[in-house]
Amino acid sequence: MLRKLALGGIRARFRDYAVLFSGLVIASAVFYMFMTMATNKAFLASNSPISATPVIFGFGTVLLVIITTVYIVYANTFLMSMRQRDYAMFMMLGAKSGKIAQLIFLETVAVGLGAAAVGVVVGTGLTAVAGSIFLGMLHAPATHFAVLWLPAVIATFAFFLAMFVIAAFVNAARLLKTPVLNLLHATTLPNRIQQKRWVLALQAVLAVVLLAIGYWIMGKLMNFGVPAIGIALVTIVLGTYFLFNALLVWAIGLLRRNRRFAARGLHTFTLGQLSFRLRDYTKILAVVAMLFALALGAITVGLGFKDAIPEMAKQQGKYDLVLMAPNASAKQSAAKLTGVAKKVTYRERVVGKTVYLNAAELDAKRLDLVLYRGPGKVVEQAVTGQNFAKYQDEGYSQLQAFKLPGEESFKVVSEAAFAKLSGSTRTAVAYQLKDIGANYDRIDALLTAQNKRYKIESADQSGQKFVTYALINSMFGGLAFMGFFLGLAFLAMLASTLMFKILSGASFDAARYLMLQKIGVRQGLLRKSVRQEIGALFAFPAGLGMVHVLFGLQMFNGLLQHPYQGLLLPFGIFLVLYAVYYGLTVWLYESIVIKKDLAA
Amino acid sequence: MQTQPVVAVDNVTKTYGKANEKQYQALKGVTFDVQPGEFVGIMGASGSGKTTLLNILSTLDRPTSGHVAINGQDVTKLRGNRLSDFRAKQVGFIFQDFNLLENLTARENIALPMALQNAGAKAQQAAVDKVAATLGIAGVLDHYPTELSGGQKQRVAAARALMQEPAILFGDEPTGALDSQSARDLLDTMQHLNQEQGVSILLVTHDPFSASYASRILFIKDGQVGTELRHAGKSQEAFYQEILNTLGTFQK
Repeated sequence: MLRKLALGGIRARFRDYAVLFSGLVIASAVFYMFMTMATNKAFLASNSPISATPVIFGFGTVLLVIITTVYIVYANTFLMSMRQRDYAMFMMLGAKSGKIAQLIFLETVAVGLGAAAVGVVVGTGLTAVAGSIFLGMLHAPATHFAVLWLPAVIATFAFFLAMFVIAAFVNAARLLKTPVLNLLHATTLPNRIQQKRWVLALQAVLAVVLLAIGYWIMGKLMNFGVPAIGIALVTIVLGTYFLFNALLVWAIGLLRRNRRFAARGLHTFTLGQLSFRLRDYTKILAVVAMLFALALGAITVGLGFKDAIPEMAKQQGKYDLVLMAPNASAKQSAAKLTGVAKKVTYRERVVGKTVYLNAAELDAKRLDLVLYRGPGKVVEQAVTGQNFAKYQDEGYSQLQAFKLPGEESFKVVSEAAFAKLSGSTRTAVAYQLKDIGANYDRIDALLTAQNKRYKIESADQSGQKFVTYALINSMFGGLAFMGFFLGLAFLAMLASTLMFKILSGASFDAARYLMLQKIGVRQGLLRKSVRQEIGALFAFPAGLGMVHVLFGLQMFNGLLQHPYQGLLLPFGIFLVLYAVYYGLTVWLYESIVIKKDLAA
Repeated sequence: MQTQPVVAVDNVTKTYGKANEKQYQALKGVTFDVQPGEFVGIMGASGSGKTTLLNILSTLDRPTSGHVAINGQDVTKLRGNRLSDFRAKQVGFIFQDFNLLENLTARENIALPMALQNAGAKAQQAAVDKVAATLGIAGVLDHYPTELSGGQKQRVAAARALMQEPAILFGDEPTGALDSQSARDLLDTMQHLNQEQGVSILLVTHDPFSASYASRILFIKDGQVGTELRHAGKSQEAFYQEILNTLGTFQK
């Protein structure tokens, strides 16, 4: 009987339960995705050149636990708000409090375990899909990366079970303490802003101080080391929360008191809705701001690492691939290289251990070299027949690719002299490509074949830029992979958090919108109010989240040469996704609260 | 010359259910007028069709056939924004469950219809203060609905309904959720508005006492208007007794 009652409640409010359950599933899926990395020591060690990576993931775990806890606490409150009327009804019908406690326990834990189970499945699927897409995109080795990772499964279940068992006890205790009558009429609570002015002021000051400390210490990572990340974590999380609590309550109050603004159109209503929300929203908005910062930060840094790979490789030479006397199959394969910016063929003649080049040919087709001029500084030099000898030593390692093992030096001679040399002519075909990464597999195959053919056994002998590229790729590719993967996971969680919060209140809001329609408010005006209200809830955390990222990028000063370069792309992509997501939320919300049939 | 009726209902029917499904006719041809300054009561048992009728009169629902004109305008032909605007300007509502916005103070709730017309803040305040004084709620304007008693809430709702000086004020069991003293106060106020300020009122109720405040009562049964009673100079006690007697025979 009890089971029937508990499950019957779920059927009756299917849409609300669907919102609740899908939100929790995403939360546990993201938790699982994060844990596949955080609990996989071998993966972290082999994919990050930074020794502190496990510690950083430890902090990340703490942050994610805080975020997920806020989410679960909120979800639990929502679950209780849906159920307490029913529980009160059962009590009125004579159910004993022990039975009710049992019922609550059963239901809460079932929801938690169900969410964890489905979440692990969804998380595994997302890990598999995202993993294979990003690994293919980055050619990252990502050794030890596991899609189904048992410690992560255990961690997810343990965390969700623990949280929901605690929640179940709290629910039961709270419910049994509240008088039945209050439970029956719990939906209409008074909503005066209770906070005192000086408390708000104190919070505002604290917020600014805490955020300043957090922002400052992220720039001093070099001086303070890993503990700086911990300090930044605490100060920024608290600062974000206080800022939303103090500043927004104050700002909305100010707008409401500004009669000239508030008295126009539906402004009072929109502001009323917002302040109605803001108080119970501050925690969620703080969480959303953190998730926004984490997702955007992870994607920005991931893209930064991805871009750093060709950027650093560029300093190693101009030619992305040099084919020595390519045979038919090599020629055929090389013809399929994409984005060829420049292709030059030089004729060479080898006499003894010297490689001879034709001066006239070099004049006509200059050879591009990159010359090192101090840390992080290089200049490009086009070499002709005349100045070849001058730059030969400086460009030694780059010219290595134009000769084969056993050959020692280059010599440039006039066209006439070149023609007279004994021995046959061989060609060296040099390619400059727009994107090495896009041709990664082809170049890899071509060079493997060439190395085998000429018995090239070391990177020094090869002299190919690709060798360096692959080396940097193996160092940064793993980090880029982590960035994209976690960025995606946090983005999913961000989306689900905001949508969950907004849609979970929609049933209560529907009555208000119906009322407004009845007293003759145009639908267009109502839709505008919805767009403004949800827009504010999306915009506040996005703004603060972006500021967090801009300061947080300082942490990567040591790792990336230009952490602040090319921010437009990740920010742009992210904001477009966020805007699409905003549109979707508005559409869903409007379909719930704006009714066609007013008589119902 | 007879004045134009403020509400003219002409042979209105309402059928629920699609053509090929099981149909139910809630209204079977209702015809009546409300003259300017009248206080009309509509009585009927549960399921008699009075809520359907009120929904159609107040433009929340459309009749299957027939016409409803408010202030000379056929409301069954209005759509979209024009319908919303008509509702905002010509029709005032008081609902049984108040329908106040609990996220706004009483003052903001009352000012809302004017704010929607983008009236100036000062004009709004002045209008709110004036109507609040009439209804005796000047002291509670800065409270939220949850902080008000049922009677106060209903007065706030009435104030909001009167802000636009509507052609007609519709009441849907406005005393249904009030204690007897608050109900009496609200009805006295409505009678005052009707007699002193000439506000036309149409009150739907099944409570004989509320109905006894009306100047004319229409009894509705099984989707049709049956008996009609007129106050016509009788004392309220006598009229109340007459209603009770009519109900006694009418329900059979």
